Amino acid sequence: MSSPISAGSLILEARGLTKSYDEGRVEALRGVDVKIDAGEYVAISGPSGSGKSTLLHLLGGLDTATQGQVFFKGSQLGKTVDLDSYRSHQVGFIFQAFYLLPTLRAVENVQVAMLAVNQRANHRAGRAAALLEEMGLQARMHHFPNQLSAGERQRVAIARALANDPTILLADEPTGNLDSVNSAHIMDLLRGIREQRGMTLIIVTHENDIAHNAPRHIRIRDGKIES
Amino acid sequence: MDSQLSFTGFAWKNLWRRRLRTLLTLVGITMGIGAFVALVGFSRAFEHEWMRMYTSSGIDIAVVQRNLLSSSIDESLATKISAVPDVAQVAPMIFNLMDLTPEVNALVYGWRANSYELDSLTLLSGHRFHDGAPEILLGDLLASNLGKKAGDMLSIQGTSFTVAGIYHGSTALEAGAVIMPLDQMQIIAGMEGKVTAFHVKLRPAPAGESYDEYVKGASAAIEAALPGTRAYPAAERAANNQIVALAHSVAWGTSAIALLIGILGIANTMAMSVFERTREIGILRALGWKGRHVILLILTEATALGFAGGLLGIAVGWGALRLLSTLPQTASIVSASVSPLHLFESLIIAIASGLLAGAYPAWRGARLSPVEALRYE
Repeated sequence: MSSPISAGSLILEARGLTKSYDEGRVEALRGVDVKIDAGEYVAISGPSGSGKSTLLHLLGGLDTATQGQVFFKGSQLGKTVDLDSYRSHQVGFIFQAFYLLPTLRAVENVQVAMLAVNQRANHRAGRAAALLEEMGLQARMHHFPNQLSAGERQRVAIARALANDPTILLADEPTGNLDSVNSAHIMDLLRGIREQRGMTLIIVTHENDIAHNAPRHIRIRDGKIES
Repeated sequence: MDSQLSFTGFAWKNLWRRRLRTLLTLVGITMGIGAFVALVGFSRAFEHEWMRMYTSSGIDIAVVQRNLLSSSIDESLATKISAVPDVAQVAPMIFNLMDLTPEVNALVYGWRANSYELDSLTLLSGHRFHDGAPEILLGDLLASNLGKKAGDMLSIQGTSFTVAGIYHGSTALEAGAVIMPLDQMQIIAGMEGKVTAFHVKLRPAPAGESYDEYVKGASAAIEAALPGTRAYPAAERAANNQIVALAHSVAWGTSAIALLIGILGIANTMAMSVFERTREIGILRALGWKGRHVILLILTEATALGFAGGLLGIAVGWGALRLLSTLPQTASIVSASVSPLHLFESLIIAIASGLLAGAYPAWRGARLSPVEALRYE
């Protein structure tokens, strides 16, 4: 599944994505088409309920479309690409609510992502420590989530998203629970990671600053792409 | 500080976060396995003791009434058995479990004074009893529990008996028993002219014939001579006499109920755990965990509960057996010995219980849609 990706080549493509809930009574997405190149930084914005998070979930293989397809490097998700493998090897998720596991220390929260990909225990621990250090959390890696600030928790979540060296980083309102200082810090961190690693970064946000600062901005309303 | 997270370490942390629930679940499975170890161990040891007793007494065949739970045969049939060519000696006998005092019960045997079975016992004090006399012999363990010695009196079922002697028996069934003249036993059991069984000692097997074949042939000859009876080789009789069969049934029945409760406890714990961790399972799925990883995690937790409960249950069950083997009420029929095979079997049952109990919650956890699970409040 993982052939080399050169910057600028098509990495993700959505064709006619429709997602409906409640036996078709609610349509979150209505025939969305989108193409994203490798290494791109894309912001998706729109009002609440516009379908932006649903689109992100479909692009990340967290959910399946009612109609339409998502292609990763030309291969259809869920058909020729196994969704679990796609999520573990190609995609890193960052959520607004961090979603750290409360019983695990920061360094263990990062390792938990690697348990699914059969890496050796000492490699997992070493990589988790290195990533947390990269996030500036070397002094906090043995703390539990409830002992960390919101900004620190989101940095742990970013380290966890990077654990399996994905090609795509998907962030769903990553600054939604943060103050302005921490928001700016997290956005700097994400942009730096993308530039340094050549990753594709797709951010769902309702914050205009973040959306406008992205090189590409997709606006979505009522389940359709506006621009 | 090294913080390597392993799969089993993760499972352990999940169990540890709800300590009280984990502990209560462990108590449930511990009781189930403890009951299995103690009760089934007891019934098997009981059977083993019967076999040892038959072997030490030189009994080859036990003749009982066919198709009846409580055997009762005419004593006079002894002469017909004696007439079978391979038979060396015939010992008519009655056995029963009786209350000697409100606290102490024991196996009571009725034997003839000239029974060859008495030859295997070592008389420690006193003398053998006489037919027709209200005399008894006490096993050394029972005598010690009752505080009796040769010459003392003991009342059994309203009849006073003189303790003629104290003997040492090599099995708990002998050491904790009372032996009295067959005629006296027939009176107090209301079985005048009747016996429970005939214990047959055969002549030595002819050269070239296997013991098993020889006993089988003799059993068939006895059954042919005494229609309506069943002649069991000793090993077979040890496994299916009324008391052992009852002990097996009670042991397996009670253990099965206790185990079922333990299994339901684990199943409930794992189902609750999966329910409470719905969002966490969603996070794991979002991180790329496959359904089989979720299944493996939940089954690891359930199996760990089963394994730990198994070990504790073995300790509790073994402890209970040891305790029972020292109590006056039960010492005569309980042996503290448990075979390693039985302990291994108990542990396997405990682990299998964990797997069984975790199967449905694991399957349910694996089927959760990642995005639905993440939305779960």
